[in-house]
Amino acid sequence: MTRINPKREQQISPSGLKRVVLSAVNKPTGADSAKPLRTPAKPKTRVLVIVHSVKNALDDHALQTIAAAAILADTETAVVTLVLGELNENLSDAGADEIMVLPALDFRVFQPQVELAAILNVIETLKPTRIFMPDNAIGDGDLGRRLIAKTQLTAATHVVEIDAKHIASKQVGGSVLAQSALPTIILLAPNVVDSELPFTSSATHINSPKIRLETGKYQDLGLQSSAAADIALEEADFIVSAGNGVQNLATLTTLANALNASIGASRVVVDDGKLPRDKQIGATGKSVTASTYLAVGISGAVQHLQGIKDCRHVIAINKDASAPIVKRADLSIIGDAEEVMQALIGEITQAKVDA
Amino acid sequence: MSMKIAVLVSAGKHPVSGQPRHCRNDSLALQIGLNLTQSLAADLTVLHAGEPSNAALQDYLALGASQINVVPATGDTVENLAAQLQNTELILTGTRAENGEDSGLLPYLLAAKLNLPIVADALEITQSENQLEILQFLPKGQRRRVMVSLPAVVAVHPSAVVALNFIYARQNLGSISTLPASNTTTKPSQWRLEKTRKPIKLVASAALTGHERLMAAISSKAKGGAVVNEGNNVEKAQVILHYLREHQLIDF
Repeated sequence: MTRINPKREQQISPSGLKRVVLSAVNKPTGADSAKPLRTPAKPKTRVLVIVHSVKNALDDHALQTIAAAAILADTETAVVTLVLGELNENLSDAGADEIMVLPALDFRVFQPQVELAAILNVIETLKPTRIFMPDNAIGDGDLGRRLIAKTQLTAATHVVEIDAKHIASKQVGGSVLAQSALPTIILLAPNVVDSELPFTSSATHINSPKIRLETGKYQDLGLQSSAAADIALEEADFIVSAGNGVQNLATLTTLANALNASIGASRVVVDDGKLPRDKQIGATGKSVTASTYLAVGISGAVQHLQGIKDCRHVIAINKDASAPIVKRADLSIIGDAEEVMQALIGEITQAKVDA
Repeated sequence: MSMKIAVLVSAGKHPVSGQPRHCRNDSLALQIGLNLTQSLAADLTVLHAGEPSNAALQDYLALGASQINVVPATGDTVENLAAQLQNTELILTGTRAENGEDSGLLPYLLAAKLNLPIVADALEITQSENQLEILQFLPKGQRRRVMVSLPAVVAVHPSAVVALNFIYARQNLGSISTLPASNTTTKPSQWRLEKTRKPIKLVASAALTGHERLMAAISSKAKGGAVVNEGNNVEKAQVILHYLREHQLIDF
């Protein structure tokens, strides 16, 4: 049995009482904010994570995939992250030990044969023991499947559960959870891993291999983005949403047009007949995954917050500083919705003229 | 010689009742195949790997397949299908099945086997010369036009916009025939099937001291971001614009 030292460190509380602080036993106060470094000095093996970047950064799904590789890596394994597309982000908190960037392979350009040749080249030089990729629609799912078909290595797609010993994926239409030992190539579904890590990593940039751009059998004819108003709310990337605090919907529409955003609404607005039912966001309406959600005059009932739980940036304009949306929002503006919207439209028009 | 189009259909399953039915994604591929067959005067073959007696195949007859060729599900499905698709210019499939392994790998494995290019997530397909122009799905409302040379494999996205026509008379007129399987050696599966349950999320275990765990349990993390209470409306609007620019959410 471990004995407790009766003379262990104590602190005197403001009221004059002696208090034993357990964390003070082995750590001086103040230093506990720094996380330990995981990166092995001389890695014996490597695992490879391949992700596409979006807008020069990695999305949550990509970060979760790197986190999975870092959590499962042992003390002698380095996590090498191959980023396809530009990267303007520090990945030391994400768990990446070594980083390679191939800026020419942006996800918006369709060049699967170039990407496949590039990653086969990287695999050839690194000889990773395992390859992790996010199973998403921006190209990683497609590229991962091409890699599986090309290399014929053991693989699993749509992986919904992973730990050190096994992986699991939903099969037979979701009615079966199929389990297997860890294969070589793993395509992870979103939200399978918590991307919060208790350690940091060195995130050193290493030389990325040269790539040869060739068209081959594929040819990209370019993107075509549709007007925000035509996009279904579930797919929209920028949503301006109206709540009960919006008196004048015309102003909101002008604002949405200026920002090239789709229009959403809370239940009250839809019930009042101001906007159609398919614009309703929340538990009884739609769940949205926009990267930007501008909530105007929305107090943020639980049912509404449920519908926007996957939104990355939430900005609220509200009269009431104690409304629940303020706790959810990344930025809250306290003020009259109409006046702030008018000012914002003015600023946007000005910014567009200046640009 | 007219162009050869093949559509691969899988047996679907109702998610709640488990009744056999057509897989909607494959039906979309079938309808796109039918539309192309009509406009190009091509030959259409509908292939299925599995049981010829499956009730799901009746749905495909009603949806426009006049004849369905069934390859037995014994052995390697990819090899068996590839053997039937040697001289086919265009192979259409869905993206993910509703039954079986549902890995979404079949079109890729088939394309690798036949050494053909593959384009996934197709919403619309038009033919021009010896090439296909495909409208491809990307998230966040974006679409992309790509060109691929024939022969090719194309996987249709579940949100492709084509109207399905279910006609009962066609179900009675259509026929189902069985083809011989070229490969009958079954590989052992890596999967161990269990009843579905909520998956367990992988969380990094942190070595926390007793004090840190206690503090984590009794205090909640600070919620919410910046709150702007001060300033006039123009200043508040500038704060929003600054936030949008800082996170690269707008491009002006």
